[in-house]
Amino acid sequence: MEQKQLENLSPDLFRPAAGKEDLEKIGRPSLSYWQDAWIRLKKNKGAIFGLIIVILITLLAIFAPVFSSHTYREQNLALSKLPPKIPVLEHVGFLGVDGKDKDGFDVYKAKNVKEYYWFGTDDLGRDQWVRVWQGTRISLLIAVAAALIDLFIGIIYGGVAGFYGGRTDNIMMRIIEILIGIPHLIIVILFILIFKPGVTSIILAMVITGWTGMARIVRGQILKMKEQEFVLASKTLGAANSRLIGKHLIPNVLGPIIVTTMFSVPGAIFTEAFLSFIGLGIAPPQASLGSLVNDGFRFIQTYPYQLIIPSIVISLLILSFNLLGDGLRDALDPKMRK
Amino acid sequence: MDKVLEVKDLHVSFDTYGGIVKAVRGVNFDLKKGETLAIVGESGSGKSVTSKALMRLIPNPPGRISKGEILFDGRDLTKLSEKEMQKVRGKEIAMIFQDPMTSLNPTMKIGSQIMESLIKHQNLSKSAARERALELLRLVGIPQPEVRINQYPHQFSGGMRQRVVVAVALSCNPKVLIADEPTTALDVTIQAQILELMKDLQNKIDTSIIFITHDLGVVANVADRVAVMYGGQIVETGTVDEIFYDPRHPYTWGLLASMPSLDTSVQTELAAIPGTPPDLMHPPKGDAFAPRSAYALEIDFEHEPPMFQISDTHFAKTWLLHENAPAVEPPKAVVDRRRSMSANFAKPRLVEEAVR
Amino acid sequence: MLRYTLQRIIYMLITLFIIATLTFFLMKLLPGSPLKSQDKLTPEQITIINEKYGLNDPLPVQYVNYLGNLAQGDLGLSFQYDNRPVTEMIAGRIGPSAQLGLQALILGSIVGLILGIIAAIKHNTFFDYGATFLAVIGISIPSFVFAGFMQFVLGVKLQLLPVALWEGFSYTIMPTLALSGFVIANISRFMRTELLEVMASDYIMLAKAKGISQSGIIIKHAIRNALIPVITIIGPLAVNIMTGSLVIERIFAIPGLGEQFVKSISMNDYTVIMGTTIFYSALFIFIIFVVDILYGIVDPRIRLAGGRK
Repeated sequence: MEQKQLENLSPDLFRPAAGKEDLEKIGRPSLSYWQDAWIRLKKNKGAIFGLIIVILITLLAIFAPVFSSHTYREQNLALSKLPPKIPVLEHVGFLGVDGKDKDGFDVYKAKNVKEYYWFGTDDLGRDQWVRVWQGTRISLLIAVAAALIDLFIGIIYGGVAGFYGGRTDNIMMRIIEILIGIPHLIIVILFILIFKPGVTSIILAMVITGWTGMARIVRGQILKMKEQEFVLASKTLGAANSRLIGKHLIPNVLGPIIVTTMFSVPGAIFTEAFLSFIGLGIAPPQASLGSLVNDGFRFIQTYPYQLIIPSIVISLLILSFNLLGDGLRDALDPKMRK
Repeated sequence: MDKVLEVKDLHVSFDTYGGIVKAVRGVNFDLKKGETLAIVGESGSGKSVTSKALMRLIPNPPGRISKGEILFDGRDLTKLSEKEMQKVRGKEIAMIFQDPMTSLNPTMKIGSQIMESLIKHQNLSKSAARERALELLRLVGIPQPEVRINQYPHQFSGGMRQRVVVAVALSCNPKVLIADEPTTALDVTIQAQILELMKDLQNKIDTSIIFITHDLGVVANVADRVAVMYGGQIVETGTVDEIFYDPRHPYTWGLLASMPSLDTSVQTELAAIPGTPPDLMHPPKGDAFAPRSAYALEIDFEHEPPMFQISDTHFAKTWLLHENAPAVEPPKAVVDRRRSMSANFAKPRLVEEAVR
Repeated sequence: MLRYTLQRIIYMLITLFIIATLTFFLMKLLPGSPLKSQDKLTPEQITIINEKYGLNDPLPVQYVNYLGNLAQGDLGLSFQYDNRPVTEMIAGRIGPSAQLGLQALILGSIVGLILGIIAAIKHNTFFDYGATFLAVIGISIPSFVFAGFMQFVLGVKLQLLPVALWEGFSYTIMPTLALSGFVIANISRFMRTELLEVMASDYIMLAKAKGISQSGIIIKHAIRNALIPVITIIGPLAVNIMTGSLVIERIFAIPGLGEQFVKSISMNDYTVIMGTTIFYSALFIFIIFVVDILYGIVDPRIRLAGGRK
């Protein structure tokens, strides 16, 4: 305080002035949970990178095979094992997409091919560009379908166990505990051996072991929610159980559910690739990212691009989902609000 | 009495995403040998931050002591290196935290946790430290110390754990003991036991205590002097009698009026203080309490009030004590309790700026 | 602790029994006879073999026999490899797999812990961001992609390390690295989070208030408490290494159990698939069991009470 000025204070200033301000006004603009989460997600560079790449790869997986003049199964032995050649980028030396093989021999010229095969062709002369995106499509389809079915079963199982509690919960959780003790891949392998490899059997095999994680998350969230006042309030007002589950519990457990789903997708992409490696994956001529990488290993010394390109796509895809999942986890956790 | 600790114009701020939070804004107080000073205030008033700042336990980043001095034994603690500070902590100044359930290491035996500071500060051998730890456990009233010393925190009840924390704090006979809401997390009966224990031990080892609390009932029990904090500043300070029977700051009135006592009749309505604590990222101009005060003056919204002195020991930071201010009637609960203080000056004096 | 251990053992046995049963019946569900691929056999020979393997008995009898044999460690005979006992085949292959798995687990745990601890101590610095970024990459890149990348760069291009096969220590380097990447990433990430959480806890504040130095606090108080939850993920990570080895052994042509398992799948060698599956499962469950017990030993709350919190 400026000491000297104190003497000269106007007596007018000493008039009562209580209630000049609105006491209960809220200092910050109020944001809904989702607005708040979105703002935080936008700040996370990794998550946004992940989101963009996921969208980009998904679009390519959907449209690239449609708009290509080739199909994933069309063979042309005369044009087999062409290296990748991409317009414009072919002049950027270190990328190695100039249509020359590893000894610097221009295969396109030798075979008199005018067309550009962006990702090259495989040993049967199939267009790798189409095959890679077709494979991505299958991998994504399997992963997303498995994640969604997990979600569905998990919500119902976990919801019932968590909501009814007591003995129901006890028994249901014992079952899950035993299921979790069984190594997942063993079940998946046995399952596919019996039902023969294919998109449906792979999805189902993953679901058989995958839903337990989601069920546990949902149950845990519901148990936590159940103890909170607003649920009790709603119960006192005579709301039916089904209404409580649908209107109050599910919206509140959505955050962790979204995050878990987000992480189960890359897990499923990996599992599918793994199955391809042990010979239980998608059967040719159909392709998946895993089967493409697996096939690529055969030519690692001579035609490495057949290994490198699908490897990059699968790594980038899993990485993007993980980054997005990390970002969502941080964004959807209201405890983090600062 | 000689001062053990003197805090001058302490400022603590935290750098957050949203901006700088000025949690403590110019706090002055001193602590005399053997006395108990209570710092009272609601959550967010800066009382806990002040206590942690005294021991330089504010995590940095984001927090830092931005200004001020903490004089202890003639040394300014804010200027000590981290290494020198480690010799002060636990040995000269010790601390008790709020929640006994979380303030002990769950994977370390009780004995080791007490012995740790003995070995560090008093260079005791392991066996000597163990003897002393047993003695301390006995002192704080833990039965069967020979058995208990080898147990882990989860084998103790909340009250027993807080006794252990007290034993840890007192192990090196500190000159100052800072107790940050040591009884808030405990049952009422246990609270009384812990308070009794602290008073008892204070007499035995002649420690000065800074007692942080929001509970005025506890204050009346243990303190010699009281400092009332609001919005990161001390708004009133005085002896227990002065604060309880002759309070001058409207915030202190509010606190007292909202506290039930045995004399409170059934008809008397407990008065809540309306509104919420100030946003310390953008502290209000003038008096931080004005927007919530029924006694606010025009000037409260313009200028920060200076400190006025009512007696040798009683200070309050409110414009109501200015000679031009209108006479106001405090809440009934406060008036009912009011006693005249013989030591009061004839008229409140403006404290010279030199103190600040 | 005793109650806790017994409880875990009972769980372990139940799970094993379920797996054995499941494997048995799923194998019986398999389309066709396991002998179908060997066309050269005459019907008489098939009858003899069926008799020998007890394939003509009613299913419950077969099941009981199978469980009985299993209890004695008899996993049956291979159909494809001259009737060699499956147990013997597993025993012959376990060496390289065990070496690889242990190397990867030890390397991964040590490097992961160190990275995680440094990242937590240097919280919000360049090193922290770097380690966090590496961890996301490590979790995202599948081991086989990492293996392919190393094979191509270190093996084919630079010719620093042998591309494949199993003829000495240098042959183990690339597969070990490929398998440990995921472990490093997971452990460092988990350790960092746990350590940061512990460092923010009240008892660390109290230790500081006692005047203990920063390094003393980290070593004596923080790391031990942060390690306890980290132990729980070592089980799943060991399982991850074992499943990963199926692929990695194939890529590097390592004569291990995983490689044999994959081969038996492609050859429809059902008894070998079944035996290896049960062996793997038993190993998985045993590892999880050991980790659970270890967890109990390290955490006094479980050791003394007998049950998690």
